[in-house]
Amino acid sequence: MTEAQGALLLSALRALAPLAIALLSLVAVPLVRLPRIADPLHSAARARHLVVALLLLSGGAAFVAGAGVSSTLSIGELTINPSQPGRLLVALGGPIFAIIVAVGEGRRAGAMGQVALFGLAVIDLALAIPIGLAPITLLLIGGTSLAALAAGGKEDAERARAVFRDLRSAGVLITLTVIAELLRDSIPLSATDPAYATTASLTAGVALSLSLIVLASVGAFPFHHRLVRIFDSLPIVGSLMVGVWIPAAITLIIFSELSLLIAAVNEPMGGAVLPILVLTGAFTMLFGGVSALLHDDVGEVLGFFAVGSSGWLVLGLAAVITRPSTLAPHELVIPATLAISLFGLWRAAIRRRYDLVSLQELTGWARHTSAIGVVLLGVAFALVALPGSALWAARVEVVGAGGNAITYVAALVGAVALVAAVLRVLLVGLAQKSRDVQRTEVRRVTHPITIAMLAGTVLIAGTAAGAIDVESAASELLRPAPESTAAPMELP
Amino acid sequence: MSAFGLELPLAAIAALASALAVTSARRGAWIALIVAVTAVALLEFHPTDSLPLNLVLRLAAIFGAILVALPPGLLTPRALMSDLAPRRIAATLAEHPVVVATALVGLLLGASPLALPIEGTSTLLRSAGVALLLIGLPPLLTSRYVEATARAAVITLSGALLLRAAILGPLDTLSSLVVAGGFAALLLTGTAVAGQLTKAEES
Repeated sequence: MTEAQGALLLSALRALAPLAIALLSLVAVPLVRLPRIADPLHSAARARHLVVALLLLSGGAAFVAGAGVSSTLSIGELTINPSQPGRLLVALGGPIFAIIVAVGEGRRAGAMGQVALFGLAVIDLALAIPIGLAPITLLLIGGTSLAALAAGGKEDAERARAVFRDLRSAGVLITLTVIAELLRDSIPLSATDPAYATTASLTAGVALSLSLIVLASVGAFPFHHRLVRIFDSLPIVGSLMVGVWIPAAITLIIFSELSLLIAAVNEPMGGAVLPILVLTGAFTMLFGGVSALLHDDVGEVLGFFAVGSSGWLVLGLAAVITRPSTLAPHELVIPATLAISLFGLWRAAIRRRYDLVSLQELTGWARHTSAIGVVLLGVAFALVALPGSALWAARVEVVGAGGNAITYVAALVGAVALVAAVLRVLLVGLAQKSRDVQRTEVRRVTHPITIAMLAGTVLIAGTAAGAIDVESAASELLRPAPESTAAPMELP
Repeated sequence: MSAFGLELPLAAIAALASALAVTSARRGAWIALIVAVTAVALLEFHPTDSLPLNLVLRLAAIFGAILVALPPGLLTPRALMSDLAPRRIAATLAEHPVVVATALVGLLLGASPLALPIEGTSTLLRSAGVALLLIGLPPLLTSRYVEATARAAVITLSGALLLRAAILGPLDTLSSLVVAGGFAALLLTGTAVAGQLTKAEES
């Protein structure tokens, strides 16, 4: 092997490490399930251990490889150039999903681990491609395919309908992405004749299309139904990947795209879209928080909590359109993702221990299993965050971009409702133990999985709350698409 | 490829086959989809002297996915002859006058200039693109059948890509690769979910 070939192989390994590890799982997981390897009764446990190791390896590889020049792969015209936000999502996502898979255990833990591995690989790859049609399409298609994989293996009509809803959304959103790209690429052509659409109106069209993609994919009101059904019916790893992590990556791409696009236009953007976005964001937080407070089913509580948290992203969208140079909206994406993931970890732990879905049946859970109570305290801490941290400054800036008192009040009440929804679940756990809870066997605190869960809680809550500084790495703008080389066809 | 040499029949075939893909019964719909996506790909990538790689990738992905999606034994010669009979096609279209009207409106609407800087675009590509968007979008948003929704998604996305190609030309290799994978994933996911729903409802 020549020196150049060696360098190419190394850069390929660095650039495509999460994808390579995900592909490796396709061979390794069936292999460890083979009866010849060991006792068939323990094949599920072996698969779970393997995917946990691969998830940790994927996160570690993304962290070590980073997004430097040595991790850029160029083959002909194709360039895979990992980004800081993408690498950060994989570096955090690897251990987080490893803990969730380990805590959730279950017969399908191996398959869920593979869903997480491929989800992270798709996120890493999409954020390594210059912004435009390809990365958003890749994420939308990846999300739908992973939803189908997560729902497979069980003849459950509710799960199938949740994926059907996701398929319909993906079909509409990919078409909308093509239209947005068409309008964006038409902007340089708009100067050819003043009778045609102006640069400002085309930019507004792109902003509107991309805003709709964000609203629908993050599950903001009135597109919340899909997200709630996903959390209610799919396994938690699939729900988090399809409903939270992949939409977070789409949001990062669209924030970057809008920042670059609107910064290049001299006229003010927004028009009627801006107040609608601001009101939608504030109302989504309020609606999600209050709904999470009122529901009894644990899956629905988590689903509405995710809806409420997505309100921050919608407010961020409005802030990007108002002030394209600000990085505050970018800094909100990862903390919101982590807070929901931590709530997801709590749900996985509760489901594993009690196998109950109604909060009424779960009274006293925190008194019975205090380690799981710590996870929920971590969620509350992640939501409130450290006063004075970069996250608080970003939130104030994003809410301030709305520019009116109603937004401030609605966003504040919504944020308080989200914290209240978490504290309500905790209070249910501190009430008198129900018979089902009382009968449940408790695992000792020194059990490795309990220790991993508590360590993960500290990591996730600390990162989301701003105690561990990662926001700056996540707020890097993504690379714009190279100048379009396509010229308008010749005049007929 | 001259505008009225091949583009006109291909645009007409794409619109007709798309209308059939969202209105026909199961086997007829799959056959119509194969015809529609082939016509759309030929319109989009304009093969002249050689076969573009992007065209091959697109068709391979969609045909492969349809082959997996099709229930076994569905493509028997006798059944094919029956489905492709002009009388059967005319009867199917006559049963769905709204879809036929939508296709015609789309073709006419696409032929008139829009407010985009598109004077240098191909009118026929634009017509076919708008027609496919109008044919595919209503069933994509409202259909209760999973496989029909997946087919409608393919038709709608094909329409958007044709509209894009009318102004900016065909996609670059990377986007083309991702979109080809997207088409395949939509069809395969639709089939998997339809199978899962059927099993769940039977059990």
